[in-house]
Amino acid sequence: MTVLQSLKNFVRSKSIHVAYVDVGSCNGCDIEVLACLAPRYDIEQYGIFVHNNPREADVLLVIGAYTPGWEGKLEGLWEKIPDPKVAIAIGNCPISGCLFNRPHTLVDPPVAKHIPIAAQVPGCPPRPTEILSAILSVAPTVFKDYEVRK
Amino acid sequence: MPLSIVYYAKEFFRGEWARKFLAAKTAPLVTPTYFRNYPELTGKTCTHHLFCMMACPAPGAIDVVRTPEGWMPRIHVGHCIRCGLCVEACPNGVLRSGRILESMFYDNTKLSFSFRIDVDTERCMGCGNCAVACPVNKLIDSQMSHGGRASTDDLLLKVNEGKCQVLHVEKCTGCKTCEHHCPNEAIHVARLLEAVHAPEDEL
Ligand code: SF4
Ligand code: SF4
Ligand code: SF4
Ligand code: SF4
Repeated sequence: MTVLQSLKNFVRSKSIHVAYVDVGSCNGCDIEVLACLAPRYDIEQYGIFVHNNPREADVLLVIGAYTPGWEGKLEGLWEKIPDPKVAIAIGNCPISGCLFNRPHTLVDPPVAKHIPIAAQVPGCPPRPTEILSAILSVAPTVFKDYEVRK
Repeated sequence: MPLSIVYYAKEFFRGEWARKFLAAKTAPLVTPTYFRNYPELTGKTCTHHLFCMMACPAPGAIDVVRTPEGWMPRIHVGHCIRCGLCVEACPNGVLRSGRILESMFYDNTKLSFSFRIDVDTERCMGCGNCAVACPVNKLIDSQMSHGGRASTDDLLLKVNEGKCQVLHVEKCTGCKTCEHHCPNEAIHVARLLEAVHAPEDEL
């Protein structure tokens, strides 16, 4: 890896663009993701920007237990995100289906069956600090050797 | 003029300034000690009442397993919603989470379980499967044979005149074994979970 390449990787890891998608949640985790945007956490000091546009995202936060309406659509959304990309499951819902995963319900967790999930943040809902630490801990590994991999 | 440039340069090349400029500025992300996190073991002895599992609202969040040291509740991260009901329902204080045990102690409250057994005499055909399957009956009369008829009245359930009869509902542990063994869906066990203000002497 040349010096320029490592510099590019480093700069990328300091500029993390985030999109989030709710594939059928109770809205609890959406509110915690929203709380991350509050001045209390000041996410821009870590270089995190929430555009909520998959075309310019690096990190996709997946929230919710995957309802039938998302079949094919979540996969399509994942395809739209340019490399390097990573998906993080937020909350119990995308991990296990949480309280919704009972007999005779239509949810289809885990989301890892549908798109590759790099990290999971359990909790119902997880604290904003847990969400932020997860994003900050996966970002360096995503961008670390991207220039060389490509 | 040149002097002020020197002043600026001196300010900008201070390590302190550069570090502040490039690194995060607010306090590091910490979890407060009172946060109600996943329940942890306190080290007290679990007596296998299974009240934690009965109180838990999340599917697959808690089970009680046998380890070489005895029974032990296990919390499954990714299923547990951190509601703390298992901590409150445990009669022995085996689990702890945040300040739950402390506030239960100061407020003198507890969650108490009671069980009601309902036998539908229209459907019951007196087979006695429930009385034979009940583990509490097994401890009282280990000789009870099929049919559920027995001479002693200490039993929890027995079959009397062709119908299941509940004799001592207070002995029921809420396991629902009887419910699962009834071929006719005639017996139902209701688990009642109440928050009670315990009398002083009980805590
Ligand atoms: S994990 Fe809990 S809070 Fe989050 S969406 Fe699912 S049910 Fe709601
Ligand atoms: S904290 Fe709540 S969800 Fe978690 S194991 Fe205990 S009762 Fe179940
Ligand atoms: S719930 Fe369990 S203890 Fe109670 S009567 Fe049924 S089998 Fe016996
Ligand atoms: S309640 Fe069910 S299991 Fe018990 S005696 Fe009646 S039919 Fe048999």
